[in-house]
Amino acid sequence: MTRDQWLAERTFHHSAFWDLKHLVEAKERQGLKISLCLPTLNEAATIGKVIVVLKSALKDRYPLVDEIAVIDSGSTDGTREIAAKFGADVYLAEEHLTECGDKKGKGENLWKALYLLDGDVICYVDTDIKNIHPRFVYGLVAPLINDPNVHYVKAFYDRPLAMSHGIRPSGGGRVTEILIRPLFSLFYPDLSAIVQPLSGEYAGRREVLEKIPYPVGYGVETAMLIDIYDKYGLGAFAQTDLDTRVHRNQETIALGRMAFGILRTLFNRLGKEERFQLAEQLPTIMRQHRVDDGSFELIEYNIEEFERQPMIEVDSYREKFGR
Amino acid sequence: MTASLEQPLTEQLVARVAGLEDELAPLREEILATLVTLGQIPAPGGGEEARGRYLLDRLTEQGVTAGYDDFGNAVGFVPGKNPDKTILAVAHLDTIVPDNVDHDLTITADRVTGPGVSDNALGAAVVAMLPACLERLDVKLEHNLQLLGSVRSLNRGNHGGIRDFLDHAPRPFDYGVSVEGVHLGRLNFFSIGTIRGDIHCHVRPIESRSYGAESAIAVLNYIINRILRIEVPTRPFTKIRLAQVFAGISYDDEPENAMLGFEVNSHSDQMIERVERQIADIVAEITARHAVSADLDVFFRRQAGGLPFAHPLVKATLAVMETVGVEPDQGHSPSDLSEFIARGIPAVTLGVSRGNKNRREPDYVEIDPILKGVAQVVGTLLAIDSGAAEEVTEP
Repeated sequence: MTRDQWLAERTFHHSAFWDLKHLVEAKERQGLKISLCLPTLNEAATIGKVIVVLKSALKDRYPLVDEIAVIDSGSTDGTREIAAKFGADVYLAEEHLTECGDKKGKGENLWKALYLLDGDVICYVDTDIKNIHPRFVYGLVAPLINDPNVHYVKAFYDRPLAMSHGIRPSGGGRVTEILIRPLFSLFYPDLSAIVQPLSGEYAGRREVLEKIPYPVGYGVETAMLIDIYDKYGLGAFAQTDLDTRVHRNQETIALGRMAFGILRTLFNRLGKEERFQLAEQLPTIMRQHRVDDGSFELIEYNIEEFERQPMIEVDSYREKFGR
Repeated sequence: MTASLEQPLTEQLVARVAGLEDELAPLREEILATLVTLGQIPAPGGGEEARGRYLLDRLTEQGVTAGYDDFGNAVGFVPGKNPDKTILAVAHLDTIVPDNVDHDLTITADRVTGPGVSDNALGAAVVAMLPACLERLDVKLEHNLQLLGSVRSLNRGNHGGIRDFLDHAPRPFDYGVSVEGVHLGRLNFFSIGTIRGDIHCHVRPIESRSYGAESAIAVLNYIINRILRIEVPTRPFTKIRLAQVFAGISYDDEPENAMLGFEVNSHSDQMIERVERQIADIVAEITARHAVSADLDVFFRRQAGGLPFAHPLVKATLAVMETVGVEPDQGHSPSDLSEFIARGIPAVTLGVSRGNKNRREPDYVEIDPILKGVAQVVGTLLAIDSGAAEEVTEP
């Protein structure tokens, strides 16, 4: 499948999947089970709305989703309590798969979701979305229900940033445009067809997700794309336009750390694929400046980008799912 | 199983109403989801179309025939089994929040917070959910149920949506239930006479200042002082409220325009008329004396009136509130109720939850009381449907 073909055939708009009744029937005919995973860390401001809106539409009214689970990294703002109150299953990541140790990061939660949730399809949705709508889920699982050749669906959207005074009409995706797209164009040109490779909303089939490693930090989205592409090719992907996504703006300095983690993840893969030779191992320290009272200070961040092994290699997982 | 003089509801209905909150509990997330989705759609007066569209979509999804009327109201209709009578359940869709304000609503453990959530996203969400509530209860009403999301209700809207709807309705209405987001316990069945108006002062062009034109603020101040000297009786209760003042641009620029917004309330329509005449005289006199153009614009009028406390609808609603466990707080209403009253349609206004509106801190509604509030609205519909609100005419 060429990039142009893929763009034409595998790029959808969520409005194509508005008929939830039809979608639920198709899902039930296939005997598919769908799990929704919401990774959290201190998301008390948005988690309640996310759960209420998604559960009401996609579990209570149209049972497209069989379970909704919050996998939390140790929030201290009441995120887990709010999630439980509105009917989500709530897991504290560090309390599960303890034999594998405890790592902190969104990727860790996504990885443990494979063990904790039962679905044949896992849909991951970030919980900082202010304009949450059921399309953030059905727009992603629908291509998987409708086409057995699709294994992984990625979201894209306009990303207006919520500013202190109203909404800025466009923007966002800075790391994508400045870092990821140039790198994909250089090393994985097919993946440059994906409009928003870093979007936090995606859905995949268990049999695919369980076979790939998960970086626990910033690199998880990039790694998923590269690893699934390497194993299954561009034809395994689809992408869905979810229209507008309103979310918190991240400071550029935070995006710098994200870019560092992503670069490490990417170089790891290029090294393993022997497409890139480095004379020495890459450092894990990211340095950023802080100016305080006229003097400059160099702050060091250790961004290790530890990677979890493919879940299929974990004994207790194989035992639980009879793999 | 009959109703008594003291208890207007049958034992069977009391038992049903008592269990409503629990029976409706599985709908809690759907009610909240409807609330936040609807409440995040801006709906300033005259710009309610998108919020109305959402209400119509929700009604259609529940199998209700729904559409806009000519005025832009969102209208749904659920036919009754014995459609001789029709209940109109209404919530106004408009808010006082401009559409350039971020309408982000948040749900925390105990409240939903965001602009306009209490006035009146919650009321509209409850009207949107009524068919789902009745379906959940496996109830098909004897009476028709007309559902209305009214537009242009607040401020200068002057209840335009519901007035137009009632004036051009496809069928007569026998009862009205107006649903407001706050406060739980609110029970309105009468309306005091009210007028709302603006007084605009505009100083004449600069040439005329030679004979005495002043700052528009100073002139407005004369008007305010004169209004404050108007004598109003304590009985019948009458009150003049000076509510808004707008004037001036900058320290070095004498204002040419000033505006006063006021409201007059009274239990007597004659007293309202008298005060309005006096204000008009004051404005005319100050216009002449101070070389300004001053206009009085009374844009909102509501007649005093309503149901007597002994009306069966009031008694039945009170019985429902008591059964559900809601402490009634009776008072007059500035809501759509006055339009029912003006047309002789027995009606009540009910609040759904505790919360806050139009204050300095953000609007919010409490989550936990909402189910009780919804149970109370549904219980009132069931009571009306059972005949408990019917007036018995002497032979």
